[in-house]
Formats: sequence, C-alpha cells, structure tokens
Amino acid sequence: MSSMRYWKVGLFFLAAFFMQTTLLNVISIYGYTPNLLLSMVILFTFLYEQELYGIVYGALFGVLYDVIYSNVIGPTPISLVMVAAGILVVREYTNIENIINMWVVSAASIVAYYFMNWGLYHMAGNPAGLAIVFAKVPWIALYSLVFITILYRILIRKMNVHHKDRYFK
Amino acid sequence: MRWIREHKLITGVLTILLALALVFALTMFGVGKESGVAGIINKGMSYISKPFTSVTKTIRDAASGIFSYKQLQAQVEALTEENKRLEQELVNVSLSKSELEELRALSKQLDYDYTEKQFDVVTADVTSFDGSNWTNLFTIDRGVEAGIAEGAVVINGDGLVGKVSEVGEGWAKVISVIDDGSKVSFMVARDRNLLGVAAGSVQGNVTGYMLKGDANVTEGDIIITSGMGTYPAGLEIGNIKSVAYNSDTLLKEIVVEPAVNFRSLKKVSVIL
Repeated sequence: MSSMRYWKVGLFFLAAFFMQTTLLNVISIYGYTPNLLLSMVILFTFLYEQELYGIVYGALFGVLYDVIYSNVIGPTPISLVMVAAGILVVREYTNIENIINMWVVSAASIVAYYFMNWGLYHMAGNPAGLAIVFAKVPWIALYSLVFITILYRILIRKMNVHHKDRYFK
Repeated sequence: MRWIREHKLITGVLTILLALALVFALTMFGVGKESGVAGIINKGMSYISKPFTSVTKTIRDAASGIFSYKQLQAQVEALTEENKRLEQELVNVSLSKSELEELRALSKQLDYDYTEKQFDVVTADVTSFDGSNWTNLFTIDRGVEAGIAEGAVVINGDGLVGKVSEVGEGWAKVISVIDDGSKVSFMVARDRNLLGVAAGSVQGNVTGYMLKGDANVTEGDIIITSGMGTYPAGLEIGNIKSVAYNSDTLLKEIVVEPAVNFRSLKKVSVIL
C-alpha cells in the first residue's frame, strides 16, 4: 500500500474544510450536509495503515473549526481524535479492502463522533438536548456515507499501486 | 520512559488528547476566548470564504432557475399582478403620507413631543455557514468597525434572522432564530394582544406556545416580535403552520414556518 505525503493530505483536509462551510450548502438536503471533515478523518485513518493523517489533521482542523464557529475550543478536535484513535484500533482486525467493513466502521464512527461532540458541547453549556442527536445523526450519517463511499472508491485505487494486476481483478 | 518508547503511538495520541482537553477546559472558563489569534483567524476565514460563498450562491440560483422554470413563470405572472396592485396602493400611500407630513408639521407647531423610532442599519454579506449540522450559525463580513456589537439584532427583507453572538474586526457570527437555543417573545400581527414565546427547534423551524390557553390563533396567522426582550417590536418571525392544544401545560402550542429562507441567505442587515 502506498502512502501519501502529509502536505498532500493536508490539501485534501483544507479543501474539505472550506467546502464544508461554503460550497456544501448547494447540496444540502433539508438543511443537512455531510460532515466532510469527519469523513476525511475516518477515511484517511482507516485506509493508511502506517500514517496518522486522521489524528494530526483531525486535531489541527478541529481546533480551527472550533476557533471559527464555536465559543469553546475542544469539542470538535477531541471528538475527531477520539474517533481516529478508535479506528486505529479497529483497523488492526479489519480488511480495509472490503467496502462493507468501511461502511460499518464509518457508521459506528459517525454515531460515536456525534454523541461525543454533543456531550462535550453540553458540558460547555450548549442548551441543545440529546433529542437533536437522535433527530439529526441518521441523516448526516447517511449523507456522509455517500461521500465516504465515493472517496473510498477513488483512494483505494490510488493506494493499490498494482491494482491492475490479475490478483485484484 | 521505556513504556513511552515502546508505545510511541499511544503516547502521541494521549498527549494530543491531553493538550486538547486542557485547551477545552481553559476556554470553557473563558481563558483566551477574546484572544487576538482567534480574531485574526476569523477575519482571514471571512476573506477567504467570501468568493467561495459567492460561487455557491451563483450555482444555487442557476440550478434553482433550471429546475423550477414553470414555478418561476407563475411567480413572474403573480408578481406582475401584485406590482399593478402595489402601484395603485403607492398612489394612495403617497396621499396619506402628505397628510401625515401636514399633521407632523402641525404637531411641531403645537410643540407636541413627537419621537420617531428609527434604527441605524448596517448591511453585510454572509461569508460562511456553520456546517456542523448542530447550530444554525453563520458569519458575516462586517464587524466592530461598522459599529456592530454582541447581541445586535439581524434582519433581512423577509423578517427576523437572529442576533450577533460574537463580533470582531471585519466579521461577526450570527446565531439564527431557528437555532435550538434561540428564544423570542412574539405577538400575533392580526391581534397584538395575543402573546407567546417562540424558540428554534431541532427540525430547523420555530415552535412556541401562546401565553393564554384560550388564545384565538389559527393556521396562517403571521407572528411578529413583541418588543419584549432583545428584539424590537414588529419584526416578522413567520406564519403559524399548525396549532395544537397541550392538555398537560394547558397552553396552545404552535409550529411556525420562518419568514426567512435560511438556506439561501445572501445579505442581511444588522440593527445597531
């Protein structure tokens, strides 16, 4: 499996970060948008065995996100790093080339992320009740999974440098 | 030390988490919240996001034009009709205005204490939206330099948008009225004695209740701000979509369709 340079992955995260707050509103369905930053953390942690892209960029862009949009700094990066750490553990026992594994890990990560994120924001005084998590997460998860699947199909081909070999056909 | 050397990954992750937890704890207690770094980042983000948001709006407008051609045609016809009616109304209003001016001149002559409530307003572009799906927050490109302060009321042509939650040089964050934590005191435009409290909801609309259990409200009633609390009186919040009587609280609960389309916000005005 070939890895990517950190700056290249950083550009992916940067693009996702800007898209999340601007262009993504074009494709919002009933006001819901996929969580690109979380999707990137899940994908890059799950796919790249030797690297810590998800943890490094999850922390970095999570902090940036909270600085811009939140009144406290921490809930987003902590949740992202926790999710990435969880995936690091699960990855050891999972075949990353099986897309079903990818879906299961992604769905579990998205749910875990939102519960953690809500909990931390709640600790910081956010009045939103737990009902908001139950109401929103299924749609966000579904939408994010579509995005993750598309990106997964692209990245998995790039990772397998010999994907044209007979073995992979 | 040996354990750390043997478990570099775990040590690294734990260090990052600890550092983040420390920052979280500090900002939770207000330390560093007003730091200059945050202001610079917000200002930079506002500048960078602006062209992206502009492109988004162009794409969305173009796409909606293609997919709703027939609807737009019907809308144009309806607007043409309305325009004719409004032209006629304008003539009537002009006549009333001249009468009003005469009366004002007269009140001045009589030394009558008359004060006209007018607001100073700053117009701003929306630069980015909070994409977290948690809060209904967005950023605008004007800030303290334009006289905007925390808590300032934000409106647009359709009605009440929300209020400023944070402000800096060249940017301000606006928490919209449909946000879960937002609360507004309202009255029904048809009968201003009918008062209630509305709040944002998880579904992205506004829900609320009437202060009197026997309040005579119906679907389609327009609700406006009552003037009690942060928001000045008379700003349209939306129209009532449904009314239901809650036998536990003995109050009438309402669901409101907001007057403002929060998904296609472009320009807003901030009342100073």
